[in-house]
Amino acid sequence: VSKRRAVSKTALVLGAAGLAIGVVAALLVKAGNPGNMGLCIACFLRDTVGFFGGAGANMGAVAYIRPEIVGLVLGGTVAALVGKEFRARGGSSVLLRFALGFIFMSAALVFLGCTVRAWLRLGGGDLNALIGVIGLVAGIAVGTVFLRRGYDLGRARRLPAAVGWFGPAFAVGLLVLGAVATFVVKPAAFTVTPAGAKNTAEKAVIAKDGTVLKPEGAKLVEGAIVGADGAVISPAASVAAAKPMPGGLRDPFVLALAAGLGLGVVAQRSRFCTVGGVRDAIIWRRFDLLLGIAGLLGGALVANLALGQFKLGFEGQPVAHMDLFGNFAAMAVAGLAAVMLGGCPFRQVIMSGEGDADAFSAVLGMMAGAYFMHSFQFASSAKGLAPMAWPLLAVMAAALVGIGVWKTAPARAAAKARSAASDAATQEA
Amino acid sequence: MITVDARGLSCPLPVMRTDEAVKSSSPDAIEVLVDSGTAKANVAGFLADAGYSVSVEQLADGSYAVSAKS
Repeated sequence: VSKRRAVSKTALVLGAAGLAIGVVAALLVKAGNPGNMGLCIACFLRDTVGFFGGAGANMGAVAYIRPEIVGLVLGGTVAALVGKEFRARGGSSVLLRFALGFIFMSAALVFLGCTVRAWLRLGGGDLNALIGVIGLVAGIAVGTVFLRRGYDLGRARRLPAAVGWFGPAFAVGLLVLGAVATFVVKPAAFTVTPAGAKNTAEKAVIAKDGTVLKPEGAKLVEGAIVGADGAVISPAASVAAAKPMPGGLRDPFVLALAAGLGLGVVAQRSRFCTVGGVRDAIIWRRFDLLLGIAGLLGGALVANLALGQFKLGFEGQPVAHMDLFGNFAAMAVAGLAAVMLGGCPFRQVIMSGEGDADAFSAVLGMMAGAYFMHSFQFASSAKGLAPMAWPLLAVMAAALVGIGVWKTAPARAAAKARSAASDAATQEA
Repeated sequence: MITVDARGLSCPLPVMRTDEAVKSSSPDAIEVLVDSGTAKANVAGFLADAGYSVSVEQLADGSYAVSAKS
């Protein structure tokens, strides 16, 4: 038996990729994105859904097509085309992948961030994310048990080229809508959270310049928001404590798009994954992908310190809550779902750009999950978990285990058949 | 010579099937068929770390044959 290196030469590439992603994410926060949310696949897909769902789905505060997401998909496409790796493929449990994406997003919105943002929050000093990351590792560990027992969603096949272009075409459509809404006119049918707007505890909305946007006809009187009928809606203290709406915190459109494109290329070339690193370390003690995560964490940490954005502690962290068990459990469910998908949400977005229809199905599932979580007010807020969050997490965990057992049983039989076939081949030889 | 068909499998199954084949019969030569750039890189890296000398050939249908000899 030859000696195996724990870290191969691709590890350095991954470490550098992680570092670049972490630093760029911190810079995007400096440029206007919400705290520790320079890059968050779950949050950005959710905001993009908010553009379509709007106030009717309780998404008025999180409505904006994030150009970063569009850039990631198209950056993945460009890198795959240049590297001759663009392949129209799919057909490996497409609907189950939609369901796994749905569950991943639901869990991420209980934690308040995806597996990328969990590491970025930790790199910003948010210790709630440390609890989340411990949950993430636990969830991934459960996923490796299924993998070792033969969990398999089935083979993807080559598909007609047109099917592979669904993901990139979808991204181009979003890009056009987002650019029109930003630079031309906001289409009446859609919702865009006003840039820099704040909302009060009573859900009144104040624009950057102090005018009251919601409810209609309300005005600022001596610091309080007073309705058209003269009744006080938000007292002055509440107006003073109004918080910026996450969807209204954003970096310039072109900068966000450029950053997304660049990171999309980096992620496609390096195969960066925020879940695979932990998974491979558990299964094989292989640390290549884990070095990518270390780079992400280190890059975010150093850049946040340099930019004065680092704040260590549990309290008052941006877009976060302090529910210890909730953070653990939500990220455990998200980690398990991601392992069952074969990669983190970042990878699913990049693979959507590479022609992978299965990954695109998972991304659509994530978007449906975001709509579901906000429509029924299951998503967490800075105050903590929604009342129904625990039953929801329990149902999702049970669903994951159910899918895991279902997709492991036939796989084990196939593994037995494989080993029987290889025995027969050996005997013949 | 053992051939592992890992085409169309999600991460990390191509590497798991390769690992399974290496462990069960310690072959002198192994060929793994994959059809994504990620699987190609992962399998090639895994076999190199296992002590094989590895070469990759792109096949006519766009998939890859990762060949390894001890």
